[in-house]
Amino acid sequence: MDRKILTFLLWVGISLPAAFAEGNRDFMRETGKIYVVVATLLVILLGIVGYLVRLERKLTKLEHQTKKDDA
Amino acid sequence: MWWKIASVVLLVYTIVAGFLVPLKSGIERVEPNAADANQLVSIRLFGYNTFFARPASEPIRVWLYYDDERALRAKKVQVVNDTIMEAVFDLPATLPDNKPFVLLNALVDHPTAGASLLPAAFTLRRVDTLQGPLDRAWTADPVAQLHLQEGFSFPYQNILYETIRNTYFHVPMWFVLLFLFAASVWYSLQYLRRSRLAFDRKAAAYAEVGILFGILGLTSGMVWANYTWGKPWSNDIKQIMTAVALLVYIAYFILRGSFSDPEKGARLAAVYNIFAFASLIPLLYILPRMFDSLHPGAKGNPAFGSQDLDNTMRLVFYPAILGWTLLGFWIADLRARYQRLHDKAMGLE
Repeated sequence: MDRKILTFLLWVGISLPAAFAEGNRDFMRETGKIYVVVATLLVILLGIVGYLVRLERKLTKLEHQTKKDDA
Repeated sequence: MWWKIASVVLLVYTIVAGFLVPLKSGIERVEPNAADANQLVSIRLFGYNTFFARPASEPIRVWLYYDDERALRAKKVQVVNDTIMEAVFDLPATLPDNKPFVLLNALVDHPTAGASLLPAAFTLRRVDTLQGPLDRAWTADPVAQLHLQEGFSFPYQNILYETIRNTYFHVPMWFVLLFLFAASVWYSLQYLRRSRLAFDRKAAAYAEVGILFGILGLTSGMVWANYTWGKPWSNDIKQIMTAVALLVYIAYFILRGSFSDPEKGARLAAVYNIFAFASLIPLLYILPRMFDSLHPGAKGNPAFGSQDLDNTMRLVFYPAILGWTLLGFWIADLRARYQRLHDKAMGLE
């Protein structure tokens, strides 16, 4: 997978929640840390979607190529 | 087709049940959490998901207990609200086994809402060096006849809290990785037997999606670790070994792509894939058990103890593994089908 996607995933999971935290009031650690579960699931789903987007791009490229070959 | 529908149904079930089933009640902390022996002390207990104020026909019982036989029961109990309760203890002068101090577990038993527990909640210190027989208060009211909490719930564990639900999202990534790599090595064996490029294509597609799930397992684990272990990367043995396993598989792609003759590359890659899969077993299953780890199941234990996975969790965990695995195979199948079209268009076949 792309290094960019990986960095993005870590940013979603760790840096973004940290940015929301104000001082000691860390919302990721409130309400029983439920947002950690949300962040984990989000990382997984976005990672899968990112892979599918990459696959689709390859497919589009291939479609263009075959069209050119047919023409 | 049916298994793709099954994958979606199982994953929807996993996410809905994984998020909506409540946690069991527990005790977050007690205040104060230490005291000298031989005095009357009032302790505040802070509950999590507790219903202390729920009406009860029998009295609520609170203990600070050392073991099955030696427990101190609170003399007076007062409920402040659903999550806060005050208990007065008459701490005896002598301690079990004449120790200088003991760590006691806090236990609240509510007749209708069930029992909740905090291990090692309270430190009791001995004031003098007097070595007498154990005070009768320790054995007068042993912990007995606890009320179980009714209804579906996941275990409560300190530090983890709600993140125990990550068991259904982070942990299955490893199962998917293993199944995909197993499928990959199976196709590699098929290629070596029949020398058809279709098998090599499938082996590569399954290995690639296996790496994807490995990366997702690592990153999701780092997010989880950041809020439970304190930092995303602790050089935990399982973290390092997983990273090594992924590098081993990345090398598979480098090897496979480094030959101008696809037949030759495919053959060598297939042989390498067998070694790569064989290396997974020491990397992921043997080495992590020989060292201390923050993960559950280190040092010779099976991966999950009864403390980590109870029967209610199994009802979600096993469908989760199946659902994520089917999704992984679905994506790998798409990847292989793309490669077939690609190879055809490029005139490789």
